[in-house]
Parts: sequence; C-alpha cells; structure tokens
Amino acid sequence: MLQNVIIGQYYPASSPLHRMDSRSKLIAAFFYLFIVFLANSWVTYGLLIVFTAFTIASSKVPLRFLYKGLKPILILVVFTMLLHVFLTKEGDMLYKAGWLEIYEGGLIQGIFIAMRLLLLVLMTSLLTLTTTPIDITDGLEHLLGPLKKWRLPVHEFALMMSISLRFIPTLLQETEKIMKAQMARGADFTSGPIKERAKAFVPLLVPLFVSSFKRAEELALAMEARGYRGGEGRTRLRALEWHTRDTIALLLLFVLTVLLFLLRS
Amino acid sequence: MDISVKRLEHRYMQGTPFERRALHDVNLHVADGTFLALIGHTGSGKSTLIQHLNGLLKPSAGSIQMGEMVLEAGGKKQDLKPLRKKAGIVFQYPEHQLFEETVEKDIMFGPLNFGVSADEAKETAKKVIELVGLPESVLSKSPFDLSGGQMRRVAIAGVLAMNPEVLILDEPTAGLDPAGRVEIMELFYDLHKKNNLTTLLVTHSMEDASKYADDIAVMHKGELYLHGKPSEIFNQREALQQAGLDVPETVQFLLKWNEKSGQNLTLSAFTIDELARRLSESLKKRGK
Repeated sequence: MLQNVIIGQYYPASSPLHRMDSRSKLIAAFFYLFIVFLANSWVTYGLLIVFTAFTIASSKVPLRFLYKGLKPILILVVFTMLLHVFLTKEGDMLYKAGWLEIYEGGLIQGIFIAMRLLLLVLMTSLLTLTTTPIDITDGLEHLLGPLKKWRLPVHEFALMMSISLRFIPTLLQETEKIMKAQMARGADFTSGPIKERAKAFVPLLVPLFVSSFKRAEELALAMEARGYRGGEGRTRLRALEWHTRDTIALLLLFVLTVLLFLLRS
Repeated sequence: MDISVKRLEHRYMQGTPFERRALHDVNLHVADGTFLALIGHTGSGKSTLIQHLNGLLKPSAGSIQMGEMVLEAGGKKQDLKPLRKKAGIVFQYPEHQLFEETVEKDIMFGPLNFGVSADEAKETAKKVIELVGLPESVLSKSPFDLSGGQMRRVAIAGVLAMNPEVLILDEPTAGLDPAGRVEIMELFYDLHKKNNLTTLLVTHSMEDASKYADDIAVMHKGELYLHGKPSEIFNQREALQQAGLDVPETVQFLLKWNEKSGQNLTLSAFTIDELARRLSESLKKRGK
C-alpha cells in the first residue's frame, strides 16, 4: 500500500558509494545542493548531469528503482517547467496560438529549472539509498560535534533522529495492520466525499496514537533499564572510518566546482 | 459458505528489489460448516492466506471463491463490502483496533458500516457483549480504561457484531492467560456450532487444533504442506517436524508409551481425557 516512497529508504547493495564514509557523503550531498545553483548554461548543466550520472552508476541502484521513487516528484518538476515555459517572456517568440505564447528564453529557463530540481532530488535520494539511517545519524552527530561546545544537545538530536527513522517502518506496518482490521469491519478509506473520507481516518489515527505513546513509554523504560544516561562518555560499536576514497570523492567534487566556476556564463 | 482457493500465489512488493513470494500454488477447499485449523511455522504464509479471504490482499495469481463471489488475479475491481460483512476477521491482537469513546460505539462500528440501523446496532452490541462474557455495564466505558483481556473481548465482540457467516481467527488467544484462552476458544467453538459458521483458526497450538478442528491444514514455506483430518495429520510426526512443528502433547506421550511398552495404541481424539481413557483401558486389559 505504502511501498512506492523511496525517500529515506535504504537500498542494500555493495557499491563504492555504499562503502563511502557517511560523513563524506553528507558533506558532498550538502555541498552539491549549493553548486547546482552555479550552473546556468548548457555546458555547465551538461557537466552536472555527467557527474550525477557517474554517481548513479557507481551506486549500483537500478534505474528502474530510482525512477519509481522519482515518479511522485515528476509532477512537481513538470509543473514548474510549464510555469516557466508559459510565463517567461524573453528572447525570440517560438510559438503563438491565441493567448498562448512561448518564447525561447522561457523554454530554456523551463528546461534548466526542471534539470536543477531533478538533479537535486536524485542526489539527495542517492544519499539515503546508499547510506543506512544509522550511518546517517552517526555521521551527522560527528559533523555537528563541534556545536557541543555551545551546549547544543547534539547527541540527543541524533538519538531522536535515529529513533524516529527506526520507527518509520514499524509505524507503516502498524498503519497497514490497523487499516486492514478496520477495512475488515467495513471501513472505507478510498471513496466518498472528502469530508466523509477525513472522518474515516479517525478509526485509523486513534489506535496509531495510542500505540505510539505506549511504544515510546516502553522504549524509554527499556533504555533506562539498560543504563542509558545520555551521550556523556559513550563509545561506539561501529566507529566511522575515513578512507582514501572519501578524500578522492570530495576532491572530485571540488574539481567539479572549479570547472563550474570557469565555464558558467 | 464454501471456500475454495485455487492455485493461489501472492508476492509482496512485486516489482521491487524487496519482492518476496509469500504464497505459492495453494489449493484448498473448505466445505460449509467446517472448523479448519491452519497451522504452520512463523512466516509460513498463514496470515497472508487468510487476508485473501475477504479481499484485503489481492492474489498475484490464482483465484479465491467465497460462496458466490470470485476474486481473481487481475480481476475487475468489485465491491468487497458484501464479502467483508460475511467473512469476519479477528486479527492478531485485535485490541489494537479499538478507537471509539465508548465500548458500545466501537462494537457498533462494524454493523453501522454495513448499513445496519443505529437502534439495531445498539441491540446487537448488548447481545454480543454478553456473548463474550462481559457485563453490560462495560458498554458505557471507554475501551482504553479496560484491562488487556477485556479489551480483547470487546474487539472480538466488534467482529461478532457483524454477524459473519465465516469467522477467520488469527491467533485469537495469543498473549492471554491459560484460563482466558480456554474461555475464548470455547466461545468461538460454541458460536461455530450454534450458528453453523465456517471457521478458520490460525494457531500455533497443536492442542487447540486437535481439540476443535474438523480439518487441519499445515502451511510450510508458503505452500499447503498437509491437509486432512486431525487423525491423519497427527500420524505423520516426521512430516510435521520437517515443517518445524510437532504433534500434540498427548500424541507425544502416547508414542513414548508405545515405544516403552511395545503396544500400538492409537487415539481417536487428542484430549488428555481421551488419552487417560485409552491408557486405563489398556492397563485394565493387561491386569486381567
């Protein structure tokens, strides 16, 4: 039922990208978010596409799988593109039918924006597809470590994040289970007017809230029973390791940035 | 209602790398009025199978016939409500599905969804709450103020209130105390007899299966592994052990007894009383 969302989902495989340290992947993905905005011409966008295609290839995530996850976002991409195509009035007029006018500048702008969005979404989903949630939170905790000096509860944030990530599948399972139980009692979640449908979710939400609170309480108790007392002096079972490949990956990204600066118009 | 499952296959998350085959080539016929126990190791496909019986899961291949209605792989969308009214499912830990402010309202949820009038539903609620062994005063309480065992009974009442012809029970006694287990199982068995229901019981308990079932179906790795009368099934200890199961304690005891004494006793029923009767009979004969 809720199987097509791939944001935040991990794709198990053994690829160079999977083996990279989560810190370098986080830094790279974050950095990438900014340099995408440097591109403003065919050459620079081409460069970004080549780089992204290279990353996808080295992740060993099947294209079919990526495409399935992109589907929900494609609507947004197409919509933004059309907005630009129809509303930007720059350059030569290419087509005119009644009130509808398409200009060259608008078309190019639309394509660029669509590419930008797609590249951003692709790269960020690659991050979560190739990194387990635990690795991501570990990496974040490391990277944000310096903020502890200003008494920011970095460890607690990371813990909260990993707990919520951990319980997403559980919650989905539970949702499906209760949905089925209520459907067996004749509940209908998929048809009827909106007002009725909103009401139909009460039998789903109440049990979900009840069980979530119960689970939170049980989890807190179980953690305390096993002596948890915050991040102070806590060591790790699996330490993060920085390899040469991480340095190389970041260097590649740096080279890409320099090229983008040189080639942008 | 006759139930007939033909070449049923189910794949979870079809078309993703997480695809998993949960059922394969299952053929099963359950005649009207049968009490069928469905046993099998965890992950053998029991729960997947029963969810097909009222259209909660769609077959990846094969078909299911429930009375007049046929659910086929790739078939047209049909209105499943009539089917869901006739086939009531009590899920594992059904108390998790309670949500209303009062027990009465929660029990009325099913009947109201199936178009029963509010007054009638109220009447039904009174009837079924008594049926599951709770006092009428519970009706006005919040289900979340009840104990775990009481919540279970209320949830069961909510399914019984739909007055189903087929009762599908997915480990209805899991997590209950021994006395509660017996009470709940007796309740289902009485209903089965009285209302001439067709009952499917998913269970891990060989004792329950042997005590109540007319037929037993054993699932193993998504396939129907054995199907027959209890006496036939429990004669195949090795086959059962292959599927990660074992015969009931009474049979285990009798097999050991036979081994030690060189006799060849058999049981017609699998209760402890029957075992004791057989043993005392044979001992008396020997004494003579």
